[in-house]
Amino acid sequence: MQLALGCAILALVVVGAVSYRGIVVSSESDGWVRHTHEVLDQLHDLQFAMQSIESSYRGFVLTGKESYIESYRSSIASATQAETNVGNLTVDNPTQQRQLPGLQELMAEKIKFGESVIGLRQRLGLDAAADVIQGGPGEQIMDQFEQVVREMQDEELRLLAQRAADAKRRLARTKVLLAVGTILGVLIAVAAVWSVRRDSFGRGLTEEALRDSEEKYRTLVQGVQDYAILMLGPTGEILSWNPGAERMTGCTFREAIGLNFSRFFTPDDIEPGGPAEILRMAATSGMHEEQGMRARKDGSRFLVRTTFTAMRDRAQKLRGFSVISRDLSESKESGAKYRGLLEAAPDAMVVVNQSGDIVLLNVRAEKEFGYRRDELLGQQVKTIIPKGFAERLIADGTRSTAEALAQQIGTGIELNGRRKDGSEFPIEIMLSPLESAEGILVTAAIRDISVRKATEKHLGQMEGRYRGLLEAAPDAMVVVNPGGDIVLLNVQAEKQFGYRRDELVGQKVKNIIPEGFAERLVADGLRSDADALAQQIGTGIELNGRRKDGSEFPIEIMLSPLESAEGILVTAAIRDISVRRAADSHLAQMEGRYRGLLEAAPDAMVVVNRRGEIVLLNVQAERQFGYHRDELVGQRMKNIIPEGFAERLISDGLRSPEDALAQKIGTGIELIGRRKDGSEFPIEIMLSPLESAEGVLVTAAIRDITTRKTAETHLIHKVEELNRSNEELGQFAYIASHDLQEPLRMVASYTQLLSRRYKGKLDSEADDFISFAVDGANRMQRLIQDLLAYSRVGTKGTDLLDYSSEDALQQALINLRAPIGDSGALVTHDPLPTVLADEMQLIQLFQNLVGNAIKYQSPGVPVIHVSAAMNVEKKWIFSIRDNGLGIDPQYFEKIFGMFQRLHKREEFAGTGIGLAICKKIVERHGGNISVESQPGHGSTFRFTLEAGERKS
Amino acid sequence: MNKIGRGDAPIEVLLVEDSPGDVRLTKEAFRSASPSIHLHVATDGVEAMAFLRHEAPHGQAPRPDLILLDLNLPKMDGREVLAHIKKDESLKGIPTVILTTSDAEVDIVKSYQLQANCYLNKPVQLDAFEALVKNINEFWLRDAKLPKRGLVGSA
Repeated sequence: MQLALGCAILALVVVGAVSYRGIVVSSESDGWVRHTHEVLDQLHDLQFAMQSIESSYRGFVLTGKESYIESYRSSIASATQAETNVGNLTVDNPTQQRQLPGLQELMAEKIKFGESVIGLRQRLGLDAAADVIQGGPGEQIMDQFEQVVREMQDEELRLLAQRAADAKRRLARTKVLLAVGTILGVLIAVAAVWSVRRDSFGRGLTEEALRDSEEKYRTLVQGVQDYAILMLGPTGEILSWNPGAERMTGCTFREAIGLNFSRFFTPDDIEPGGPAEILRMAATSGMHEEQGMRARKDGSRFLVRTTFTAMRDRAQKLRGFSVISRDLSESKESGAKYRGLLEAAPDAMVVVNQSGDIVLLNVRAEKEFGYRRDELLGQQVKTIIPKGFAERLIADGTRSTAEALAQQIGTGIELNGRRKDGSEFPIEIMLSPLESAEGILVTAAIRDISVRKATEKHLGQMEGRYRGLLEAAPDAMVVVNPGGDIVLLNVQAEKQFGYRRDELVGQKVKNIIPEGFAERLVADGLRSDADALAQQIGTGIELNGRRKDGSEFPIEIMLSPLESAEGILVTAAIRDISVRRAADSHLAQMEGRYRGLLEAAPDAMVVVNRRGEIVLLNVQAERQFGYHRDELVGQRMKNIIPEGFAERLISDGLRSPEDALAQKIGTGIELIGRRKDGSEFPIEIMLSPLESAEGVLVTAAIRDITTRKTAETHLIHKVEELNRSNEELGQFAYIASHDLQEPLRMVASYTQLLSRRYKGKLDSEADDFISFAVDGANRMQRLIQDLLAYSRVGTKGTDLLDYSSEDALQQALINLRAPIGDSGALVTHDPLPTVLADEMQLIQLFQNLVGNAIKYQSPGVPVIHVSAAMNVEKKWIFSIRDNGLGIDPQYFEKIFGMFQRLHKREEFAGTGIGLAICKKIVERHGGNISVESQPGHGSTFRFTLEAGERKS
Repeated sequence: MNKIGRGDAPIEVLLVEDSPGDVRLTKEAFRSASPSIHLHVATDGVEAMAFLRHEAPHGQAPRPDLILLDLNLPKMDGREVLAHIKKDESLKGIPTVILTTSDAEVDIVKSYQLQANCYLNKPVQLDAFEALVKNINEFWLRDAKLPKRGLVGSA
């Protein structure tokens, strides 16, 4: 008995030690797991930070915003920190330490690359930086880096696995020892109990001794954590409960005591009376081992292997059962490994059961959602993923979980995650099934895709904007990918080429631009897309486009690159230039025709542009100015027309060329032209505008007017000479006659005195001589007076004014009253008009004519009539008709000459200057004078005068 | 007989004329018109002024009742003489008649502006000339009232 006790105690101690060791190992194992997790965590952070660096500098390249540079810098700091941490954490692991330099190097490369790209963007702009990113080493660095990180992760996991295996082994050993120890202990205990019982019966063991051993047993049992050891009453009610059972089922001691053990069976088992059956079998055979599903307090299931041992008292009465259960769930064995992996995963991992409860989560999930583990375990997954997860997943009545799951496996689903603080963020979840004792669980890897979403949104926005611009563009726009396929086109392109959009998308651009596009653009082996493109950007290229119906038409295309998620695309703006071509050829034709006309023109023609430069000239211009054509084209007009042309023509600040020109068109302008030899000659230019592609040009027709000018000058000289001469003559006549008067007066006066004083006192011959002298002197005086009067018509004339001819006649008659009185002449007149005349001269005119009419009278009474009539030229014709002697027609001209007389002096006095004076007066008035007469039938003198304004 | 209300003193007329022919003609004309007129002659402007101012050799010259003045004179011409006469307080009261062959408007205007009492144009014909002199005599020396010699100016 003491031996048995001793053995029991020993067994207990051993078990205790082993348990302790198991705990240590367990906690050690836990510690390793934590450590591994930390390293993996840091590696993940490092990886994350590197990705951030990349996306930051890419972000900057795309947008040029400073915020990206900040993000870039902070990412670098995070990365550096993480790398340091990794180093520190793995300080005892040479394998890992060996990786570090490589890691650092890759980081440095990446950062350097990032710096260069940022710099490029800042200096040269989007295109240059994009190009560098495209062809740069960024991706390779990243791949290598991730490779290293993966290796390190694997290493850690391997280490972990190793340690886990180690631990497992030890644990297994522990378990075995434990099992052995426990069984041994149990057996010993049972034996002891049996022996004690027998002893107590036989030897009178006291209840106390029994209680004592029970107590010991209880202690043993309590010490066991991994096994559920319990006592059942005969009908299965739970009499004792150990921590192992608590752990396994989730029920506490207090809760379990009194319950029927079948409570922990699944509904499937309870029904057919499974638990009772087990008890019966155990009672029958004394011990029954079975394996089956149990249900925990929370409803989750687990697999157990249970040994039921019937306990009988000395009277063989069934006292109850002892039950030892071992949890067989895979999560216990491979579960540890799985848990380790879960913890180490870079993404947040959440394991959800069929009812949508979270059964497992890792530390990343804690971090992502801001919860502590125990706050989420057992919660509905809805808490962290409000919509979309549960619905997709949980089997409804129509399909099984497996089917529901099968639909989702492998696809990344985008949903929204909700943090503990209520904020939501976009996530992507990847599901994978997990078989467990409790059924199929769903492992969800949850990734925060906020950044990705933002980028996508931004990209989407840009694309949206771009698409909008594309559609709205007035030209046909076609976007082509590096393979030469059309990826996008706008409605204008549809119209121009006569295709529908879907007929062209995906087609080769060759279909609409047969030649020239693809060749120019697509990278040949010698250069990259970017290079090929760079050569073409911005220049308009003329090619031929082909419509759906096969017809071709000339086009001009302008290329520009477009970065997109699919790589660098080429946007081509396509413009139909058929009209332009036609216009060009038409213009060329017209210019040709114009040039022809220009050459053929008889005058020199010069075409000048706005700046006063000669753009065109004809052969006449060459001749006139003595230049060769090419010596003048492009030269300033000033070279051949020094002054006056440019100034008149070219706009000053105040008016446009059109205005300046308009003023000059059509008028001939006289200027001076200069020949090549420097000689100048007078020219007349006529301007006309000419519209051309280069704007408004001026065509100048240039005529050499040298002869005209000389003739003009000659004429002017002659006229001046004549005027001078006339004036001199006039003056001469006046002076001559005036100065002649004096001596003549002496002669005439003294001869008369002589005649008077000595008449009859000298002999008769003396009387004759004296009378001839006197006569001569008198005549001379009269002649000179007449001459004076005649010359005065021109020199002393006043301006012609409106004057009443009737008044002039009246005055003349007053002056003639003596002769009229003496002859008894009858002078009548019609109403006479207002004329343009010199007053004195008009009176003189009438006086002479009427005087003549009276003087040259025929026998009887002179009858004279004055009348006036208007002629076709609106001039007045005056007529003075008399009944005098008349004039022989052969003398009609002669009588108007100076000093012409038709009669002897004895018959009629007079010097013969009267009519000459009349003629001069009339001609001075712009008219002419004539006579109509017949000898013996009187005469009619006619003269014309300009009509004057009516005088009221 | 011409009387100017001064008793029997003869009428003094100064003729300023450079042409001797004209002088003789004028003399003859005045003689036939009115024989008692004393006609004095100055043949140029300077002599005329000397006469009027009683300067040698005309120290004893009488003050004329009428001056007949030709315009075109040598040395000092008639216009100047006229100006001098009409500026001189003691002489300007003497009626001065321009007697000239010129009928130029400018001469007429100038003469009247210089305060000539009358402008006469010498006729070309002898008869007309003689008639004019007669008219002068009748108008100026008979009809017109002239101031008494001795009351105006000093002898």
